[in-house]
Formats: sequence, C-alpha cells, structure tokens
Amino acid sequence: MKHTLSLLLQNESGALVRVAGLFAARHVNIDALTVAATHDPAVSQLTLVLHGDEGTLEQILRQLRKLVDVLDVSSLSLVGGHDGSRLAATPA
Amino acid sequence: MTITQAAHAAPAIDHHPLAGHAMTGAEAIVQVLADEGAGVLFGYSGGAILPVYDAVFRYNADHALPDGREPMPLIVPANEQGAGFMAAGYARASGKVGVAIVTSGPGATNMVTPIRDSMADSIPLVAICGQVPTTALGSDAFQEAPVSNIMGACAKHVFLVTDPAQLEATLRTAFEIARSGRPGPVVVDVPKNVQNATLHFDGASRLAIPGYRARLRAVESARLDDEACAAFFAALMQAQRPLIYAGGGVVAAEAAAALRAFADAFGLPVATTLMGLGAFDSTAPLALHMLGMHGTAYANYAVEDCDFVFALGARFDDRVAGVPDKFAPRAKFIAQIDIDPAEIGKVKAVDWQHVGPLGPALERLTAWGRARGLQPRLADWHAHVAQLKRRHAMDWDRANPLIQPQAVIAAINRHAQGRAIVSTGVGQHQMWAAQYFDFRAPRQWLTSGSMGTMGFGLPAAIGAQFARPDALVLDIDGDGSIRMNLGELETVTTYGLPIKVVLLNNRCDGMVRQWQKLFFKGRFAATDKTLHTKDFIRAAEADGFAWAKRLERNEELEATIADFLAFEGPAFLEVMIDPDAGVYPMVGPGSSYTQMITGEFIASRDATPVETTEIPPTSMF
Repeated sequence: MKHTLSLLLQNESGALVRVAGLFAARHVNIDALTVAATHDPAVSQLTLVLHGDEGTLEQILRQLRKLVDVLDVSSLSLVGGHDGSRLAATPA
Repeated sequence: MTITQAAHAAPAIDHHPLAGHAMTGAEAIVQVLADEGAGVLFGYSGGAILPVYDAVFRYNADHALPDGREPMPLIVPANEQGAGFMAAGYARASGKVGVAIVTSGPGATNMVTPIRDSMADSIPLVAICGQVPTTALGSDAFQEAPVSNIMGACAKHVFLVTDPAQLEATLRTAFEIARSGRPGPVVVDVPKNVQNATLHFDGASRLAIPGYRARLRAVESARLDDEACAAFFAALMQAQRPLIYAGGGVVAAEAAAALRAFADAFGLPVATTLMGLGAFDSTAPLALHMLGMHGTAYANYAVEDCDFVFALGARFDDRVAGVPDKFAPRAKFIAQIDIDPAEIGKVKAVDWQHVGPLGPALERLTAWGRARGLQPRLADWHAHVAQLKRRHAMDWDRANPLIQPQAVIAAINRHAQGRAIVSTGVGQHQMWAAQYFDFRAPRQWLTSGSMGTMGFGLPAAIGAQFARPDALVLDIDGDGSIRMNLGELETVTTYGLPIKVVLLNNRCDGMVRQWQKLFFKGRFAATDKTLHTKDFIRAAEADGFAWAKRLERNEELEATIADFLAFEGPAFLEVMIDPDAGVYPMVGPGSSYTQMITGEFIASRDATPVETTEIPPTSMF
C-alpha cells in the first residue's frame, strides 16, 4: 500500500541525507520525494511517497521522529469526500 | 541560518565566569568539555585536530590540580578505534558521557565502529572529529572524509560546524542529545579553521532543536496514571506465572533500585538480557540470570512457562526472541516500558505499554500496588522456578583433563564475588563470562551486545579503569578478539593501569567454529588458528606487563588465578582452554526456546531435541 508522508525538517547540513539514509538503512524504498522551502528559511518541507504495510509505515514514522532535525512528521492518506478525494493528515 | 535562529542563550543558572571572553574555537571546545564534566578524554592526534589538542594541553597546564595531576587528561590509544571503545568503556562504567577526540579522514573513519557500537547499545558518547578547513571541504583534500555522511548513518546525531559562532552551542547540545532520552553517540565534525577562529564565549548557549526537545519533553514528563496502573495490576493479579524481562534500558535509566523494589514487592522472577546483566543482582533469589540464545536453561524454560511478561528497557531482539511468535508462547499478557516509542511493539505486540522514564514508572507501580495491598499469589510459581534453577543449573565438563573455560570464569568469580568490572571481546568467551560471572550491580558488565564488535574488551577495560580507578577491572578476552586491538596492551602499561587481562585461548574463532560444527558439517573455513605463531606472553611482556603467564594445567588453575588477581599492577593471564568446549545452552537461530540445546552437562527437559542441521543456512545469522 502506498503512503504519503509530510515532514518538516530543520535546514541543517546533512539533514536530507539523514532522512534518505534512514529509509535506506531500514530497507524501505522511497518512491517519490519533493523538497520545498517554507516561509521560514530554517525549515524545509519534504513530501515522501513509500509503499509498505501498516507495520512498515508505523516503524518508519517512529524512526523519523527520532531524527534530531525532524520537526514534525505526519502520514497523509487519501480520504474520500462528497466532492472527490482529497489529502488529509491522519494521526499516526 | 543565522546565529539568532540557531543559538539562543539558555536560562543561565550561574553566569559563566568566561562569558563574554574572546577565545579560539579550540579553546571554546575544551571549555565546554570541562563544563560538561568530561573527566578523561580519549583520542589520537593529527593535523586537522591540532588546535584542539594544543588547547587541551594548555588547559591542563593552566588548571593543574593541587597534587599536580591534570584535570582533564587525554589518553592516547594505539588506534582511534581504541579511543572510541575507551570512551565507551568509560561511559558504560560511569554512566557519564564518554568523550573521544580524533583527527579528520582516517582518524574519523577509525571511529566509525565505536560510534555504531555505542549507537546499537545506547551508550552516550561525544566524538569530536577534526575536519579539513571549510574552504577545502569537498575538494578531496588530504585526510578528508565525508564524516557527516558516514556518521549520520551510524550515530544518534552528527553536526558539521561551519560557523564558529555556533561551535559552543553545538558542542553543548551534542552532550544534551547524547545523554537524553535513549542515550547514544553524537559526532561533532569541526573544520580546522573553525577551531582556529576567534569567537566570543557566552557560557550557556544551546541549539534550538525544537523537534527533538518537544518529543523529549513529552516522553520525559510521561507518568503512569491511575487507569494505567489499574490495568497493569488487573492483569498481574490474574497471572500465575509472571516474569520480568529486563534489558540494558534498566542500566541506562539508573533504574536498578526501582526494579529490585518492584520485583521484591510483588515477587516476580527477573531474567535479564546480555545488556541487562547487573540490572538485577544475579545472586538474588528471584534472579534467573540471562535469557536468550545463550541464556541459562532455567531462565529460558521460565520464559517458556510464564503467562505474563513485563519487558523493561528491552527490545525483543533476535538473540532473545529469534522467533517472535514463539517467544513466551504461553504469555497471555505482555507489558512493556521503554523510553523509545519506536521499541514499543516493534517485534512483538504488547497488551500494555508505557513510554517514559523507567525509574519513576516502576516506583509508581510499586507504590500503587502496595497502597492497595495487591500481592500476587505466586508460591507455586516460585517453587517451579526454584526447581528449574535446581534441575537445569549451569554446568560443564568437570572431568575433562583439559582446562574448561567455564571453570576459569567460575574460579575468578569466587575471588571477584560479583563486584568486579568485566569487559569482554565477542564470541564464546563473552558468553561464558556472561553465564558464569555474578553481577551484583549495574555498570559492572561491559560488552558489545548489539554490534558484537571483536576487539572491544581491552580498550573498554582501559576506559572503565579510568572511570573507576579503585575497582578491579577484568578484560575477559579471546584469542581472536584480543588480536583485533592488541596494540592497546601497550596503552595499559603506558598508563600503569592495574587491569587484569584474561585470554581464553582456544586457538580458533570459537563461536564461529561452534556454528561450523553445528550447521556446516565441521568445515572450519578460516577459523582455525593453530598455525598462528603468536606468543601472547612474549607480546604482553614486550608491552611492559611485569606479570604475564600462561596456564596450561588444570591443577595449577586455582593457585595461578589467585596469584594473578593478587598482583598489584597490570597482569596478563593466558589460559590454554579445551578447543572443543562449546557454549551451552544454545537456542539455535530460527529455533524456539523449547528447542534449546543444553549440551551434555546441563539437563534438558526436552526428550527430543531438534535436528539443528535441518535449519537452512540461508535463514540464519
């Protein structure tokens, strides 16, 4: 199953490598990754797509929250509404 | 990022006497080390770290203690890996943050193994690495290595300091990260021009790290509420055979006293992991010693029989729960406390959990249960456990004319009486030491548990002796393991450390050989060392050991060990042991505890041991 994660990351030297490296070390593939600036130049926003079961998602979320540079992580999943599907953050 | 965003003055309790002073980056590093209570530094010099070494030299000259000793001695190993394991040994034995300082490039890469080892065993370290100047970063300069990339994958965190104004705050924050939450190693990579830059010391600043601090606050302030206590005791009071499974987290959390009080209050037997040895006095009536792959048979049978597991600072790793579904198969209820949310239910689903500091949680449970007069009726279970301990006691081939390694450890243990600090390499000797030593208190057992790093024992013992100058420090080592950092033998005598090195020599890589015997039809690929010509006694003598003897006859064992341990200074005892001695019990890879092989000398309760050779070699590690 595909999962989309949204991360707020402190703009520190090597921070992106540490996020990508965590996925590699935990044997979880990143299917897609975008990095964007935020209104705060010290913070970047990452959007990541991975696939895996619920256990994999849960463990990668918990491991991401152990990274010192990570400010916030949430899992986004498709939530169906009357006016079509939209992305909404779910507590994970 | 500007300084104002990154570094903010923490609420200063005392105004630092040097606040506002101009100093170099190197001097600021040394001052923060002193402020953070670094008592001993371990490291090897080199070009890119020279300014820091010079600042350490000047600090020690300017702040000499009344008796002339240096306040922050810098201990020099033979190899940077030695410095890392010395710092780790110091940290493990003292509970303080260990500090290692090395140069760029090879100095830093030699530090990778101790950093990863400390990460895997949750040991607080700060490693400061010199780096090429910022102007040369990325140019393939002499002794340049991408330390933040390499260490980022291994450490709890790594900082590359490119702005001198952030150096002081970064190093102070590194100590905070290393010791807080689940402890771990933090690497600070400092380019040489940052060490040489002039900065204004403020004496208090830290980096913001808002995400980490917010999560840490949430975890550290977590307390068990009435509902959680009620749910815990509702399950415990229904249990007939409850068991505590205590890991290294009990040691890290300084929660041994709280564990003892809880276990005594409610009568739960305690099995510890390899990392948890010492977390519960192994001579206590409720102690089951170690569980797992080479745990005691009685601990493993108790795990098989229990109906309630209380996991404390333990993570159900593959050496304990090789087959998670078959671990504690009769447990109707598993409760878990850990400081790391990621460990809850990671391997095995749990019925009750608490993420927070272990000591306060256990104290709360003890008080809650006591206040309500809750007392599980466990007389039958206690009788059962006592019978397991009696029937399946640890034992070895006592009639063999060759020296049995278990007998050596048992003899040393009779002198040490559970009070020595014991470090080890990795392999059979490590497991015999774990099985046959008593540990009365935490921080006496220093071993590379998760990483399993051969060569750990000697440098870890050196670090431990610096942390506990008056303690009896033993390095129980193997011939394969000690070779890996044999250069540190000289470090022992250079600093006049009264370490007792015990080399259990079976002239092979014994643990690998044991697996080859069991699983590879006795093809001893690359593990036989009988053609190796090393004379360890002459090597120890060459490195300045005044007491260095080889023990080859059983009848001399007791007297030699007494003489060895009584020697005042550094001593080296090589014991030529039975090369066929095996480590038992053994829960083979992919096996459950019911399939445990107890060997010839420990009673098994399973009449039909499994054919271990049926396990496909590809499925095990």
